[in-house]
Amino acid sequence: MTKFLAVVKREYVVRVRSRMFIATTILGPLIMSLFGLVPALIFRMEVGGPLRIAVVDQTGRLYDRLSESLMNERKESEGVSIADGARKSVQMNSAERLQQVASQQRQTFWLQKIEMSASLEQTREQLKRRIREKEIDLYLILPTDLLDYGSAELVGSSTGDIFAKDDLEDAISNAVREARLEQARIDPQTVRSLSRPTQLKVMKIDDLGETEDRGQGFIVVFGVGFTIYLTILLYGQMVMGSVIDEKETRIAEILFASVRPFTLMTGKLIGVSCVASTQLAIWGLAFITFVFFGTNALTWRGVPMQLPGIRPILFLYFALFFLFGFFIYATVYALVGSMATTPQEAAQLAMPIILLLVVGFYLAFPVIKSPNSPFAFWVSIFPFFASITMLVRIVSQTPPFWQIALALLLELGTIVALLWLAARIYRVGMLMYGKKATIPEIIRWVRQA
Amino acid sequence: MSEIDITVRLDQVRKSFGEFTAVKDLSLAVRAGRIFGLLGPNGAGKTTTIRMIVNITAPDSGTIELFGQRITPTLQDRIGYLPEERGLYKKMKIGDQLRFFAELKNISGKEVDRRIDSWLARVKLSEWKNKRAMELSKGMQQKIQFIMAVLHEPDLVILDEPFSGLDPVNVELLKDVVLELKRTGKTVIFSTHQMELAEKICDDICLINRSQKILDGSLRQIKKSFGRNAVALRMEGSNGILNDASLVSSVQTHSDEVEVLLAPGATAQQFLRKLVDSGANVSKFEMIEPSLHDIFIEKVTEAE
Repeated sequence: MTKFLAVVKREYVVRVRSRMFIATTILGPLIMSLFGLVPALIFRMEVGGPLRIAVVDQTGRLYDRLSESLMNERKESEGVSIADGARKSVQMNSAERLQQVASQQRQTFWLQKIEMSASLEQTREQLKRRIREKEIDLYLILPTDLLDYGSAELVGSSTGDIFAKDDLEDAISNAVREARLEQARIDPQTVRSLSRPTQLKVMKIDDLGETEDRGQGFIVVFGVGFTIYLTILLYGQMVMGSVIDEKETRIAEILFASVRPFTLMTGKLIGVSCVASTQLAIWGLAFITFVFFGTNALTWRGVPMQLPGIRPILFLYFALFFLFGFFIYATVYALVGSMATTPQEAAQLAMPIILLLVVGFYLAFPVIKSPNSPFAFWVSIFPFFASITMLVRIVSQTPPFWQIALALLLELGTIVALLWLAARIYRVGMLMYGKKATIPEIIRWVRQA
Repeated sequence: MSEIDITVRLDQVRKSFGEFTAVKDLSLAVRAGRIFGLLGPNGAGKTTTIRMIVNITAPDSGTIELFGQRITPTLQDRIGYLPEERGLYKKMKIGDQLRFFAELKNISGKEVDRRIDSWLARVKLSEWKNKRAMELSKGMQQKIQFIMAVLHEPDLVILDEPFSGLDPVNVELLKDVVLELKRTGKTVIFSTHQMELAEKICDDICLINRSQKILDGSLRQIKKSFGRNAVALRMEGSNGILNDASLVSSVQTHSDEVEVLLAPGATAQQFLRKLVDSGANVSKFEMIEPSLHDIFIEKVTEAE
């Protein structure tokens, strides 16, 4: 027991004291939020100035409406108050975020009305020349029959910007609709006020009562799944690194002369799991502190922050599923580490493990969509996926308790089986220098032990 | 010789890896309080034998007894082991490292700190206590590993090639420590392929070659049984005597002297008298014992 504790202590102290641990503890949440933010920021990047469009309005009735419509569009999106924006960015799910990015990224259009002085063909030639000379980016032709059935024509050297194209299409449709309504003697002002869009308010019912869900549910589910996936990956690899280190430096031989391989391996797993728990506890406390003080401060400043309701039992489930998932993957990592001779070789051998973990992470998405389907059930009790998928189910729509218990039980059984297997391979693998273990050899070790 | 005087006893021990038999029916006894040399060329099976004694691997068949008992993991605490393939945690400080390995041998507390300091002073590495292992030279690391093997004051110390790669000053330093261990009643198993070194410190030896024991016993007795009539000789004149087949069976010429193997039945006294009578000017005349190296070569070739 003393030996076991000595192994746990060494593993823990060395790692918690390392610069790496301190850096990931502080930067971890930052890096995770960057994963969400960087793509958004890249989408937002405005490269180049406004889109310069020359408009040939053959109907003579659309240009003013078009330019007004495009300007309105901009005003509307700018009209969203800062407070609103802040609230939005906290609550949005990824689909919404993409949309917002697109709207924020909307080009400011710069329109120029072209009076037709010559034939259409001549005007076209002129406009094409201007595009070649880079005076304008695009030209738009609104033909006379557009009000009845025709289609508008947009010409330019680069027409790849789908956001700009959608905006223009909307604006033209609006302008055409208004012109048609006017023709039918209906006041466009009335039409506009009558066709104001409605909004869908989403409510979630669970044992917390009824709460409005503006997408924050998805954020929590996604965040939980991602955190567990990332920490298992990170700390599983840490176990593997530690095993390879002891094999490569040949410390294993002295260690095995003092402590039984199984004690060493389990001590290592427990030690690293303590490191991971420490880090998660720090993050958890920081999160709770933020919830209690941060949101109050923000609300007080006029930023309405509504954080999703999180039940305390979730923390317990998170801890359990994290630890069980960690032990499953870390044991496999330890096993792989003992079979390899160099870190490079181990990285190769570990590829299938990472793949399994990634699959588990992506399975979270269909599970979020329909957390009560048979598919979600089977996927969430499968031991290699359960830590991510069952937790995702618990957060989105808590399944019956027996399903949670079953998932945990199956994970526990898997851990025991893997430890049994790993102990046999680890002992022999650690003392084998210079060559990678072959599959028949490994089978023999397991049989002989 | 009572049972209690035997620290390690191997009986018909066999170990194979797949097709290859690393140790074949090896029996030996290591007497308490003596330095036992486990000798043989590279790949003879020394390390495999040691790993079984330390309980890192188990024999396929045969029995191993330590201190009169069948081996168990708890007996490991009474053994100190310096493996040939040795390592340290690169990024761990020397002091922490030594304390960790002491804890793995079930000792801890203030006493450990005191022992660490005194051992570091003894091998002249005190100022390195708070340095990381990666900052130490190879020789320094080897001395740290040596300390690991003896820090918990084990009754049995197993040293696998402990002097390889050390400079002569450090070899002397560690050799003194080994001899001191013996004086304090510890048993030492010393494995090497360097026969000259073994000859200087071992009390008993066991020679193994190709997984099998060739010869064992006390070094003095072995030498006596190999007692050949050999003389180291330095002289001037009268080379004719060396060609006398009734006296001399072979002559090896070294740089400034010759090694003469006397013919069966001839004595050194007769030979010396003949030399003096023939008017030779003898400046050196010394009976020489066969070296362990010679014995080993002779035994191995005899077996083949």
